[in-house]
Parts: sequence; structure tokens; C-alpha cells
Amino acid sequence: MTSGTLTPPRKERTAPAAPRPGRSSRRRPFLAPYLFIAPFYVVFAAFGLYPLVFALQLSFTDWKGAGAANFIGLENYTYLLTSEEFWSSLGNSAVMWLLIVPVQIVGGLAAAVLLANARLRLRGMFRVAFIAPFVTPLVAMAQVWIVAFDTDYGLVNHLFNLVGLPDVDWLQSTAWAKPTLALLFLWKTTGFAIIILLAGLQAVPADVYEAAALDGASRKRQFWSLTLPLVRRSIAFLVVVQTLAVFQMFAEPFVVTQGGPYGSTSTGGLYLYNHILASDLGTGAANSFLLVLLVFALSLLSVRLLRSRDE
Amino acid sequence: MTSLMTSRTKKPGRSLSQPRPGPLQYLVLGLLAVVFVYPIYWAVSSSLKPPADIVRDPLSFSLGSATLDNYRAMFGDVPIGTGFVNTVLVVAVKGAMTMFFCPLAGYAFAKYRFPGKNLLFGVLMLTLMLPTLVLVIPLLLEMSQLGWVNTYQALILPGSIDAFSIFWMRQTIAAVPDELLDAGRVDGASEFGIFARIVVPVIRPGIAALGVLTAMNIYNDFVWPVVAVNDESHQTLQVVLSTLAQNVTGNRVGADFATVWGELLAAGSIAMLPVLALFVLLQRHFINGILAGSVKG
Repeated sequence: MTSGTLTPPRKERTAPAAPRPGRSSRRRPFLAPYLFIAPFYVVFAAFGLYPLVFALQLSFTDWKGAGAANFIGLENYTYLLTSEEFWSSLGNSAVMWLLIVPVQIVGGLAAAVLLANARLRLRGMFRVAFIAPFVTPLVAMAQVWIVAFDTDYGLVNHLFNLVGLPDVDWLQSTAWAKPTLALLFLWKTTGFAIIILLAGLQAVPADVYEAAALDGASRKRQFWSLTLPLVRRSIAFLVVVQTLAVFQMFAEPFVVTQGGPYGSTSTGGLYLYNHILASDLGTGAANSFLLVLLVFALSLLSVRLLRSRDE
Repeated sequence: MTSLMTSRTKKPGRSLSQPRPGPLQYLVLGLLAVVFVYPIYWAVSSSLKPPADIVRDPLSFSLGSATLDNYRAMFGDVPIGTGFVNTVLVVAVKGAMTMFFCPLAGYAFAKYRFPGKNLLFGVLMLTLMLPTLVLVIPLLLEMSQLGWVNTYQALILPGSIDAFSIFWMRQTIAAVPDELLDAGRVDGASEFGIFARIVVPVIRPGIAALGVLTAMNIYNDFVWPVVAVNDESHQTLQVVLSTLAQNVTGNRVGADFATVWGELLAAGSIAMLPVLALFVLLQRHFINGILAGSVKG
């Protein structure tokens, strides 16, 4: 996202004045680059820009998918902003965020530090094990969650009983449904976080640590004053990506809980889908813009918070 | 990344500054590995159990009593075969579009200077920040205006040439030396010929990573297919799976748990095996692909 890394170094500017035969015979292709990039803009115009403009228009109407659409100004927005269900869907997403993002960053970093040890054996095997959940289809695993977390016959309560713990109402109680879905999200994406953080750690040159060790810095001190600042970019990336994902979370509640019990797992994404089901498309469009604004604001905020300390 | 790791281990100074990992570290990593892998193993092994055993004893599994009953029941219950065929079709066509157009556009942005380039690239980067969610409703309406609801083009065209893949390929192609391209020009190659015969072979590892990641994403995609398609003959595998889950949770009362759970686990297992197999075979490309995403930070 920083402009510095986006522009590749241009050879032409720094090239020495020595004659280069290729250069002189090179005709300047005018049309070619436009032709090469055109397909993206055509597809984007048709299936990105057009629906976006359409949605914006729609969000100011009371259209229900049929009949005439009446312009109603900001009514959809004011309706949502004063609706209890809308705020509770955001509240549910916020709780999910708290259950997921901090746990994933701290746990992922700990695992990545262990994996980064150059003398670790079986690293490849660990890495495969950690990433396997990330490649599995979410819908398939959501189904496994339904079965494994069933109160009466599920695997998890079976294990709980074996060690003398009582049954937990994982998916049918308002207290546990959110953590159970958060666990699915964590299970599926923490491996992704680990390899991103591991790559960040491995980009730290070894001699930096050697110099620090020579200066007598303890391993703990090396972690806080060297490792952490150097992987801050990876952490910031993860926070932004996962914040976007958590607030748009849809398939997990859609398949496992349908938003229940008592709306406790109705996330921002699922609440939006309910407008489609109810053909309340004007409100749905307004809802998506509010959600997008929120997600933008949150990602900007997290980038700021994670950056401010080094500048 | 792997090369980085091996070069690191060869460095003699490194081993002095890093302690050998102790049993505790192996234990922690091992437990974590079990937590990540066990649900997959449990799902697949349970799907092979007689339905009654899934409910009676979730932990036990013996190869001797393995059965395909759950799979037979599931195949009779939902059109999973059709789902597979549809998914393969969408992965093939949509994947091919991504694999052809994204490196091509990445090449244009990496190696040409042309009026409006910065503006066009800025637009491309902006679209990266557009969540799929905001487009779902209007896109669905657009599909119904076009008469495309329940069609393959509705599943394939939206998002078939995505900004992220272009950005990724641009970064990859920027590292190809200009001298190579100039040499191709001297030989009289066309602009597209330079791309196809010089650039593509050089960035083959990047293309491979793009390929596996694209295939995985399209295979696992759910939000758009579940909205765009509601008739059984066009449902993708993931959508078929979700209808099975809804039947189960919708009919909790009076349903024969053992049977429906067996079907759920069979469907889930059969859906994850292709991606898992691909992942185990091509893990290096998967990991490169996953990491490519973080480089943009």
C-alpha cells in the first residue's frame, strides 16, 4: 500500500549512456499495453462499477425487488442506524473480532517464533499440518462443526465427559455459540497467520540478532526490541485482512447456526443476507454501504495504530 | 522462502546464537499440529463408520468396520455429483480467465509506460478494497436483469479477472530483467509474443502459485454461488453441501441423527479431499501463493 514499493525501478533512467542496440530499434508500442489491461476494466465496469452505482442509487429507495422504486432519501440509513438488529449484528461482529484477532495474533506469533528456530527439525511437517485447515472448504468444515459440537452426541462433549467435565450447550446457548463459531474461524485461518508471521520473522537478518547477542541483550529483550518491531508490518497486514474477514463473516453462521440462538450469531454479513431473503433490497444496499464504511474505518484505524509507534 | 531457510541453517554463526529447541517446544508444536489436523482426520474417519457408531462412540474408529453407507445415502439425498461437475467447470473456465488475463495485465503494468498508467493502476488498487459483500445485492439484480440467474456465466464472469492477481503478477514480472524483453524485440517478436514466449517461462513458479491459489479460491467460493444460483442443476459443490446442512438443522426434530450426520460427514469429507490432496502434492506453490498476499502490505 505504500507508494514506494509499488513503482518498480525503471531501468531506462539509470541506464548508462553506452549504446544499446535493442533500444534504438524498439518501436514504442502504443496500443499493446491498453489491450493487455482492457479485459480487467471491461469486467470491472460490467460486474463491479455498474452494480456499485446501482447499489448506491438503490440505497435511497424503498424498492422490494418488484414494482416501482420510490426515492425515500436517507430513510434506509436512518432506519438502520436506529434499528436494534443492525447494531446487535455489529455488536456480534465486534465480539467475534475480540475473540478472534488478538488470540490469533498472539498465538500465531508464538507458534511462528517456535517455527523460526533454525535448528528445529520437522519444520516442513509442522507447516503442512498448520496450513491444512486453511485450504479446506469452509462449508465442509462448518458441517463438521455442527456434528462435533452437538450437545448430546458431539465429539467435544464426549471428550469433556471423559475428563469429568459437564456437557456444554455449544451451539444452542447464546453464551457459547459465538465462541464456537470463533473457534471455527481460528482453526481455519490461524495457520495462514502463522506462515505470514514466520515469513516476517525470517526476513529479519540473522546478524541483527548476533549483534544484539554480542551486546548482551537477553533473548526476551531481543524479542521485544528487535523481533516485534520488525514483524510489525506482518502484524498490521494480518489485522487488516482479518478485520475485513470477521466483519464480513457469513458462511460460518449461515451454515452452522443460521444466526441463532436468539440472533446471537447474526453477524454483519449474515444480517445483510437477511435483507436479500426478505427482498428488502433498498435497505440491504444501505446496509452494505454502512458495513463497508465501518470496515474501511476499522482497517485505517488499525493501520494507524500499528504504524504510529515507529514514526 | 525455503531457500532463505536453508541458507540460514548453513550459516555457522546462527547455531551459536540460537538454542536447540527443547522437548517442550516440540510438545507445543506437536499439540498444535494435532489440534489443526485432528478435525480433518475425525471427519473423514467418522464418515466411514456405520451411522449408529458415529453417535454412540464419537472417538472409536476401526478399519475393519469401515463402510461406505454414509456416502451411498448422501449420493441418494443430494445432487453432489452435479455439484462436482459444476464446480469443475467453473474452476476450469474462471481459472483459465484469471490465469490468462491477470499475468497479461500485470505485464503491461510492470513493463510499459503509457499515458494514464498511474491513474488506471490507482483504480485497480482501489477495487482491491471493495468488499464482495457490497456487490452481492446489486450484482444479483444485474443478473436477473440480464436473465442470468441460474446460469454458468453468472458463476464465472463476476470476479473472473481480479485486481489482486494482477497486482501480484505485476510484482512478479517487474523482477524480469528488461534486457530479456529487449532481446526478444530485436528478434522481431510481437508484444504479445514477448509476453508468451519470454515473460511467462521466466515467471513459471509465480504462475504455478497463482494457479493453485486461484483453483482453491474458486473451488471453495461460497458467498456468490449461493446467491447467484438456486436451481439444483447449476449449484456448485459448496452450495449443494450447504443445502444438506440446512436440511439437517432445519429438521432437527424427529430427524434420525445418526443417518443425517453420517451424510454430513461424508459430504464434507468428499468435498475437502480434492483440495487437501492438491495441497499435499503442491504445498510449495500453495505457500508461495499465500505469502504473495502479505507482500503487498
